[in-house]
Amino acid sequence: MEKQSYQYTENPLHVTRREFITIGGIIIAFLALPAVWMYTITSSNNNYIKARTKGLYLDDEKSAIRVSHANKSVARYYKEFGGEPLGHLSEELLHTKYINRTKGLS
Amino acid sequence: MHTEKMILKHPLSVRIFHYLLILSFLPLAITGVILYFKPLSESAMNLTMHIHIVAGVVLTLDAAAFFLMAFDRVVLFVKRTFSISSNDIKWFMVLGGYPQKILLRKKIPVPPMGKYNSGQKLFGVCVLIGGTVLILSGLTLWAFPHLMPRGAVAFLGSLHTFFALLLTLFLFVHLFLGIYMFDDFKAMIIHGKIPYDEAKEMSPLWVEKEIIAISKNKS
Repeated sequence: MEKQSYQYTENPLHVTRREFITIGGIIIAFLALPAVWMYTITSSNNNYIKARTKGLYLDDEKSAIRVSHANKSVARYYKEFGGEPLGHLSEELLHTKYINRTKGLS
Repeated sequence: MHTEKMILKHPLSVRIFHYLLILSFLPLAITGVILYFKPLSESAMNLTMHIHIVAGVVLTLDAAAFFLMAFDRVVLFVKRTFSISSNDIKWFMVLGGYPQKILLRKKIPVPPMGKYNSGQKLFGVCVLIGGTVLILSGLTLWAFPHLMPRGAVAFLGSLHTFFALLLTLFLFVHLFLGIYMFDDFKAMIIHGKIPYDEAKEMSPLWVEKEIIAISKNKS
């Protein structure tokens, strides 16, 4: 507790109730403005994502072949040449390796 | 024996808020300047960013706690800093008499001021607006930039830089005048009190309109 070694202090009633509510309301309103702005731009940002997702689903619906294992050419490759998926020959021919080429760029 | 009459100028809640503000804003300003000019190695810049974030979280928690626990002081501060009169224009025309006092050791008549003089009010407005922008933009840029469009993130980054530079520049003036007004410095940093006569000279309107004697209040 603060030791009372002073004889004067600020009048606690310097701000009236009406002033307190008005100023407090303005402060809250000003703090709400960025919150509303952020909500608006975040939700409009999500609108793009939703539209893109909808487009991708539409593309899927339109496609005759939707998954890689239903692709006739892939099925024929495994049947006539590659053997089974993830087999030795397929791994050797189809799998890629990471090579850092960024040094060559500079 | 020391019998000077004293006024409680800065209550304990304000002083604790100000201590934490010093502890957080000084590292934030220093690391912010380093992050802006990027003079160090990659690992040192990484460490600087970590310090900046920790200090930013401390400042945010300090401001949020003061806002919630001492909302009456926030309202009072807003009322005082945004109360503008013709005296403020007159004060700025002579810059509060500080250049004459500091450079020429000469006292000139200055318009009567409240708890804060016009320069402190301007600083207060910048701290209120700038501080709020810095906290909100900093928090957004750190915690969820991925939720925002790229343009909005860039805009917040520019706002953050602008207000950070503004407040950092103001900080030098605040530090200098804060220490120059030594009674006020002791009041904010040590005991919260200011001599009655000093307050009457520096803030006559505050003493006249807002100050009450404790014994009268109790009766």
